[in-house]
Formats: sequence, structure tokens, C-alpha cells
Amino acid sequence: MTERSGSPFGYAMLAIFGALVAAFLLLPLVILCIQSFTAESFLSFPPPSYGTRWYRHVAAAANWREAALSSLVIAAIVTPLSLVLGTLAALGLDRGPMRGRGVLYGILISPMILPHIVLGLGIFRIALDLHIDDSLLSIVPAHLTITVPFVVISVGASLQSFDTGLEKAAQSLGASPLRALWHITLPIIRPGLVGGGIFAFIMSFDEFIITYFLSVQTRTLPLEIFSTLRYQVSPAIAAVSALTIAFSAALTVALMMRGQVISAGRIVR
Amino acid sequence: MTANPKGGRYRAWGLIVPTGVLYAVTFGIPMAMLLSASFARFEAGRTTPGFFLDNYTRIASDGVTLQVFWNTVTLSAQITAVGLVVAFPVAMLMRRAGPGMRLALMFVLVSPLLTSIIVRNVAWMLILGRSGLINTWLMDWGLISSPLALMYNRLGVIIAVVHVYLPFAVLPIYAALRAIDPARENAAASLGAPPWRVFVHITLPLAMPGVVAAFTLLFILSMGVYLTPVILGGNFVVTLPMMITDVARNQYNWPFASAMSVLLLASIVVVVALASALNRAFSPPRND
Repeated sequence: MTERSGSPFGYAMLAIFGALVAAFLLLPLVILCIQSFTAESFLSFPPPSYGTRWYRHVAAAANWREAALSSLVIAAIVTPLSLVLGTLAALGLDRGPMRGRGVLYGILISPMILPHIVLGLGIFRIALDLHIDDSLLSIVPAHLTITVPFVVISVGASLQSFDTGLEKAAQSLGASPLRALWHITLPIIRPGLVGGGIFAFIMSFDEFIITYFLSVQTRTLPLEIFSTLRYQVSPAIAAVSALTIAFSAALTVALMMRGQVISAGRIVR
Repeated sequence: MTANPKGGRYRAWGLIVPTGVLYAVTFGIPMAMLLSASFARFEAGRTTPGFFLDNYTRIASDGVTLQVFWNTVTLSAQITAVGLVVAFPVAMLMRRAGPGMRLALMFVLVSPLLTSIIVRNVAWMLILGRSGLINTWLMDWGLISSPLALMYNRLGVIIAVVHVYLPFAVLPIYAALRAIDPARENAAASLGAPPWRVFVHITLPLAMPGVVAAFTLLFILSMGVYLTPVILGGNFVVTLPMMITDVARNQYNWPFASAMSVLLLASIVVVVALASALNRAFSPPRND
């Protein structure tokens, strides 16, 4: 018996369950996207008539444009900085001595298990003291604390399967350590950089509670959705939400194309 | 990287310094301030630093905070239980599926992770609300006469939080299942054990490290979750993070908010300790 144990019946049951879970995970998002194309003033499913009315409304509304812009600006600053910090730290761990590596790794990814509410409260306090609340000066470092661990994990995983002999070979042929790093190491660990970068971007783009503490004037997209969200979901929120889903879907496909879904899975493990 | 391997190796740690400085400013110092502030005294809007136990005695005696804390613990336990029950079969399926199906499942699991949490909450409002999809359809079909309360209660919060965190539960369990040598299961089966016995006596015990990891992640994440209970729970599900936010942002009572944060962190430390005890208890016999 070379087959893995378990009956075909059991497999069929699992497959049905898996399909139900897939529906649970994806259908709410699909339904939201369909509803966002309503031409009515209220959301219902299926919409009585379709149109791009609410997309045009959102594109013209100053509050949504400003919120989307500030979210994009913050994420665009945070992502490269997280890649630099996270990659340096991962390299330091990888090239450093074995001793203490586990402890250092634990410290580097420790912000992941800290509730963001506590992190937000702490950063809010220190930002008030330094008079940098409601500013990129506090929001960017706060986001970095959340995003850097993802880059450390993702790049660290890539480095583990990297053969440092290649770097040594380049150096023995006369390349400086920095040149070897740039031309040999970084291209080879690119999957880890891409995966970590995408996760960092999403984490920053989606961050809510810390920004909620820090911001007075600054409105990011999650904050704007939150403050607009009363007891009813307006079609405008549905349209904005559908746009961010489309954006995420594009990123997921980008990850898939690079065969990165597996390593993205590794990130959350 | 250098001719002196030993010194060079330690020098590599210099690359960690920038991140270390960042963490010190955004994480180390704020946490130390938080701990010290939790022992400060807050009276009539004024904070007196010092070593007072006021905030902790208030937690223990005001009757509200402990109740909210207990609500948070039971809610997290419910989320964790539902999450594990849903995640385990999915992980089993991923293990037994062919490469194509496995990739499809991975896509289904990872794509929500890349989708904004508040957007996913909005999606659930459209489905679970009074005039949401489920209630509209059930009433159109004449199955119910008045809308069911599917959100603004625990049910809605559990559904939406499980939706957000399910991938974090599936992936560690899948990793543990994948590490199991099928030969062990086949050996039991060839000795006559029916599939359910193989599962209970071989597969499940060997998968326990993954289950414990999933349990830990789900519980910790659920204890700290803010946005989803606020949106799907309305004001009817109050958790510790919601209370901390209110006390800090609206009442400016930083010392009491700090003490509640310390309580939250302490409970997470307990969960992690519990998980490592469980891990030891369930640690599978050595492979050889």
C-alpha cells in the first residue's frame, strides 16, 4: 500500500469541507464587490440595477482621495525602509555567530505577538512627549515596528537556502563584499524580498489601531472607512472596499506568479 | 566576509543595530514607560508618578474591568475553538491534495490575508446585518418573519474574527501534518487499524505541535483584537482592548490604561506558558 492512509470517502468529505471553507473565505468579498456596482442609493443583493455611480462618486470625493493618498504615501515610505532594516537584520543574523541567534531572532520578531493595541498605546505616549503625534515622524516608525518582523522572517527563510559559497567565489574573483552582496546575494534572495515587501506594504496600508491613536488630522483609508461606517454600510464604502480588494487581488496574483504563495504561507507560520 | 572569521562573525551583528535602535524607541522604551505608568496615581486629571497599586486594586475591585477581562478571555476561547475545528480538516485536505489543489487552497488562504481587515468586516456587515444578505433571503423565502440577530453580538464577532485569523491556524497545522512520515500511518493501517483509529492514535498525536502553535496564535491574536469586535459587536461586545482605547483616548487616564495593558500582556504570557507546557505534554515520541 503506497497510498497515504485514509479512505476515498474521507477524502471526499474533506474536499467538501474545504470547498465550504473556501466559500466562507472568499464569498463575502465577492458579494461585496458585486454590491459595490449598484446604481441605487442603498445596498442590496443582488442590486436592482448596475452602474459605476459610486465609483465616480468616490473618485470625486475629496475625503476618499486624501485618505487613499495618505495611506499610499505612508506605505510607500514604510515598505522600502522595512526592506532595508529587515534585510540588514536578517543578514546580520545569518552571518553572525550561531550562539545567541535564536534569542536575537525571537527579539526581532517579538513585535508580532504583541497586541497592536498595547504597541499603539505605548507609541502614542512617547509621541505625545516628543510632540510628533499626528505626523509621519511617529506613524512611519510605528508601522515599521509591525512590518520589519515580516521582512526578517521572509528574507531569513530565503537566506537559509542561499549558498554563501557563491558570495565567497565572487569575492575570491576580486569583488568587494558589497558588490558580491548586490550582484549575487540580493538577486538570489529576491523571492524573499518580494514576499516580505508585499506583506510589509499590506500591513502598513491596512494598519488601524496605532494610526488611530496617533492621528488627529491624518486620515488613512482604514480610518476614513471606520469613521464613515455607522450602522449602515453606504455604497461609497462598498466601492472603496472593492477597490482595495482589487488591489490586494492583484498583489496576490503577483505573489502566485512568482510561486511565492508558499513562502507567504511561511511568513504567517 | 573577512579574514578574521571569529571577530567578523560577531561584527555581522552590527547589521542588526538599525532595527535594534528602532525597536528600542518604538517598543522597548514605550513598554518600560507603560509598566512604570501602571504604578502611577491618577487623580482629578493629574498623574502622580510613584509606586502605587491604585490601578491594580481598581482592576480587582471595580467589578467592571474583571468582567470585561473575563468576556475577552471567553470570547478568545470561543474564537480559538471554532478556528481550530475549522482549520484542522482544511490542513488535512491540504496534506492529502495533489499539487494543483494544494496551490489553489494556499491561494484561498493567503488572499484574505492580503485583504484589508476593515474591508473584510464591512463585507460581513453586508451579510450578517438586519437587512443583510442572510436575513433578506430568509425573510423572502418565508423561513423567518423578523430578522435574526447575526451581528452586534458574539456570533457576529466570532464569525468575522475567525474569517480574519483562519489562515494563521491552518498553516501551522498543515506544517505539522506535512512533517508526518506516511509510513507510520501505513504501518498502523496494514496491521489492521481502521482509518479513524489511525487518525486518533497516530496522525492526531503527531500533529499536536502544530495544533498547539495554532492554538497559541489564535488565542493571542484574539485577545488583542480591536477593530472587528468594535465593528461587528457594536457596543454589545466589550473587550479589554476596547476598554483600554476608551480609557486612554477619551478619559486620558494613561495610568489605568497602562495597568489594563499590563493585564492583557500578562494573560498572553500565561497563554504562551500554557502552550509550552502543552507542547511538552504532547511532544511526540522520537522518530527513531
